[in-house]
Amino acid sequence: MPLINLPAFAPDLIADLENLHTERVDTPVIQPAEPFLDMAGEDLRRRIFMTESETGKSLCLRPEFTIPVCLRHIETATGTPKRYAYLGEVFRQRREGSNEFYQAGIEDLGEQDVARADARAVCDALSVLKNRLPGVGLSVVLGDQSVFEAVVAACGLPAGWQKRLVHAFGNQAQLQKLMADLSDPAPSGVFGPEVERLAILGKLDDEATLVAHIDQTMEATGYSTNASRSPADIARRLREKMELANTRLDHRTLALLKEFLALELSLAEAPQALAAFAQKAGLSLGEALARFESRVAALRDIGVDPADITYRAAFGRPLDYYTGLVFEITPDGDALVLAGGGRFDRLLTLLGAKERIPAVGFSLWLDRIASVKGAAA
Amino acid sequence: MTITIGLPSKGRMKEDSSAVLARAGFSVVAVGNDRSYRGRVEGRDDIEIAFLSASEISREIANGTVDFGVTGEDLVREGLAEADARVEFCARLGFGHADVVVAVPEIWLDVDTMADLGDVAADFRARHRRRLTIATKYWRLTQQFFSGNHGIQLYRIVESLGATEGAPASGSADIIVDITSTGSTLHANHLKILSDGVILKSEACLVRARKPEHEGNAVVAEIIEAVRKAL
Repeated sequence: MPLINLPAFAPDLIADLENLHTERVDTPVIQPAEPFLDMAGEDLRRRIFMTESETGKSLCLRPEFTIPVCLRHIETATGTPKRYAYLGEVFRQRREGSNEFYQAGIEDLGEQDVARADARAVCDALSVLKNRLPGVGLSVVLGDQSVFEAVVAACGLPAGWQKRLVHAFGNQAQLQKLMADLSDPAPSGVFGPEVERLAILGKLDDEATLVAHIDQTMEATGYSTNASRSPADIARRLREKMELANTRLDHRTLALLKEFLALELSLAEAPQALAAFAQKAGLSLGEALARFESRVAALRDIGVDPADITYRAAFGRPLDYYTGLVFEITPDGDALVLAGGGRFDRLLTLLGAKERIPAVGFSLWLDRIASVKGAAA
Repeated sequence: MTITIGLPSKGRMKEDSSAVLARAGFSVVAVGNDRSYRGRVEGRDDIEIAFLSASEISREIANGTVDFGVTGEDLVREGLAEADARVEFCARLGFGHADVVVAVPEIWLDVDTMADLGDVAADFRARHRRRLTIATKYWRLTQQFFSGNHGIQLYRIVESLGATEGAPASGSADIIVDITSTGSTLHANHLKILSDGVILKSEACLVRARKPEHEGNAVVAEIIEAVRKAL
């Protein structure tokens, strides 16, 4: 392996990004670990390089650019809209491939015209890849979590179930298991002996009695002062759960969800197919469908043919800050992801931004682009 | 070649391990005095004993410094990534029973399963402006169980090296992942085990480092067979 793994095409790529009207940013390689673990979950810990400062602060080597770029944006408080571009090394523990490699990309923060910004992210990623990989056929897969959210909401499912389904979206195995569980819930023992005892004592009959009982028990067991979940939280969720105990996901809804998740077709035909699905199922997808259509229109306007993009209804990322568009670009007939991106409207507020900042971006895997380039040469 | 067996250096685990080996026909004696960290098997020049602290044994097996070890399955699975590829669990020895479990405050009346916990975790940040926290010393087992088996990502681990059961009441974490043998400590701290919250039913095991030179080694095969027969 060469000691310097910055691909030779990096300067050209930087020029490409500049031509796309972006402002180049760099971020420190050593980052506080907390924001990454908080956003992506503990599972990330195994996949990043962590260390500690002398004072015990958790630090890590930059595993990606989106969070550092957003943090920097919040710190510098220079206002929106902003189009940031980056190119630099990232560090991850990988089973295959090098542990340090280069990524480049664009983060588009604060553009209020969501459809236009989405279309531009897909278009920018494609144009950079086409410049670096002339003659290589590229496939784009696109998904949209907000359409799934709309389907689940339109099915009239209980709020708790909607949340669970949306949360599992993007993780195929988890979602299938969840749907199976909801359509055939475990018959007994889901409440435990203490709840059964309280039911006999009549403590569950109204919310106020239940809250008072939980409050007293917490007091008596020394939990009250440090309680993370309040008596009201617990009582509310217990009553929700009891209301759902005898309901199950009916066959028709299950079939509808499965039919939706199986949709995979050209993006050019997708708006029509979704409208037909909604009409047949008697669901009103309203806003979500309108936004989906305007994104397809925006892609056409910017010069990307939707017929060249595959829409896959089940495609998403199981991270709670992704909110809408997700996409991946691979070489034709190959699973190697060269670029991945999506919309993360919730990330900046989670990271501490005072106002809601819509955001979309993508990143490019330079080592993979280099290997495709090498194979094509 | 000499085969080295790592045994716990003190306590019940030390006595119980020596007893199993004695029943298998390997009578362990300390070299020098009782407190010595080296031992041998009577009449066997081809077997050495290394007395190690419980937490070291899995590491020494992984390095290959010892050929066999007697230690808890929980320590091996927590200590080593891809444990089954690196070691062989040759025999379960019937002592040192302990379950690694997910336990939540008893008063969380609405939480009885991992699915319930997943719901609570998903909502936690919105309600409490921070992620759900888990006190544990079992980082790896917790991550595998939560992420791998139950698709729960949104939580944070708070490292706890002792008195983990006290963490929820003291407010240093919301729930715990810990070992329990009778459940009485959990009960005393007003914690309950989730109905599908048993991560691992652990006990002391005879564990072999997967080394190529063990292939066809008569002593290695003899030790495994004798211990299995002695159970």
